[in-house]
Amino acid sequence: MATSGADLLRRIAAGDREAFAVFYDWYAPVVFPLILRIVRERADASDVLQELFWEAWQSAGRYDPARGSPEAWMVMRARSRAIDRVRSTRRRSSTFVAPLDDAAAAVPGSERARDAAELAEDRGMVRSALERLPGPQREVIELAYYAGLTQTEIAERLKQPLGTVKTRIRLGLERLREVVQASP
Amino acid sequence: MSHEPFDTLAAAWAVGALDGEERAVFERHLADGCDVCEAELRSSAEALAAAARSVPPMIPPPQVKEALLRRITATGSARRETLPPRRLVWAVGSLVAVLAGAGFTATFVATRYEARLGQVAREAAALRASVQRDEAALREQIAVYQGAVDLLRDPATQIVLLRGLGPSPRANGRVIWHPVAGGHLFVANLPAPPPGKAYELWTIGDAAPQPAGVFQVDGSGRGTYRIGPVAGGQPVKVFAVTLEPEGGVPAPTGPMVMASVK
Repeated sequence: MATSGADLLRRIAAGDREAFAVFYDWYAPVVFPLILRIVRERADASDVLQELFWEAWQSAGRYDPARGSPEAWMVMRARSRAIDRVRSTRRRSSTFVAPLDDAAAAVPGSERARDAAELAEDRGMVRSALERLPGPQREVIELAYYAGLTQTEIAERLKQPLGTVKTRIRLGLERLREVVQASP
Repeated sequence: MSHEPFDTLAAAWAVGALDGEERAVFERHLADGCDVCEAELRSSAEALAAAARSVPPMIPPPQVKEALLRRITATGSARRETLPPRRLVWAVGSLVAVLAGAGFTATFVATRYEARLGQVAREAAALRASVQRDEAALREQIAVYQGAVDLLRDPATQIVLLRGLGPSPRANGRVIWHPVAGGHLFVANLPAPPPGKAYELWTIGDAAPQPAGVFQVDGSGRGTYRIGPVAGGQPVKVFAVTLEPEGGVPAPTGPMVMASVK
């Protein structure tokens, strides 16, 4: 009998702890690298992960399969909790400007990032889906999604017109959809 | 109006980049109900989820799962935020029944509440006492550290290392020592003494060892102790710790567990 993530969430909503343990084992290894990439500290990432799954336990009943896969549901929440964590850390200490800016600096399009991606492919490693986007599109999506910058902030940072940034985001997302459909 | 501008807004919204007036406009548009945008956002969310899955998975630290399972077990069944509809109907039904018997129930509930309030007040008082105890302990600890820091500022202060001997080879310690003001002893990795016993510190100069106080260690083998000045300001050449009866003794009798390094 095949179990789906949606089945698990239904059972979790009914208070099934075993289903929750399985759900955690399935999805925590997927969202943990994403959270870690955003918050950068393992201890912070563990905190965010715990809160994320705690919320999932409490609000599993509100999951609606018609609105998307459980994975999309968890990934979206993981990203937004991680960004919240970085913002609140930043607010607490005005002198501490990392990691959002760090993340932004470290990201995309930069030669180092591209080299790393190509190197990974040369070694026969799987390139992550985002790494298969054209540099400028990947850059704007990463600045928004991982570093939490808004389109206006991205335009300022890259010294590009706002319209260009918007277009790149849209084209980048379209491309990302094609990439993930081509290699599920 | 063409739908086109909303496609661009939806893309920015999907990666959390939409801001300002455009965000307000788009969220109003969503709230009005737009199947096109909803499908668009759904598809973007799935693509971003697939992107997250495309990087190598990472097993998080096992403590996270353990903590979650503990939390879940602790909350038991009282966790539900929203009751399933049938149970809600039932709950409303029983509430009505309870209200019907209100005359009797009110007295009963009031009595129950007074008992409960009394209990809450007692718990609060106990909590306050416990907080005050913790506060006193913290103040004491701060005073120790403050004293140590003050001593460290004094050029006459020395730091003497203590090493574990015989029964407790892993023990180590430091004495911050001022020839006139006395000092502080900090030890670590010293096993808890057996029942009825305690550690006693000795200062040894040219004459017989002088008792410098009895101290205990905590569960993790750490202890701090304020050492009074030596009578007559005699110079100290060696600090030593022995295991002695709890009340302390005037001259060492037990095994030496730590001594200063020459």
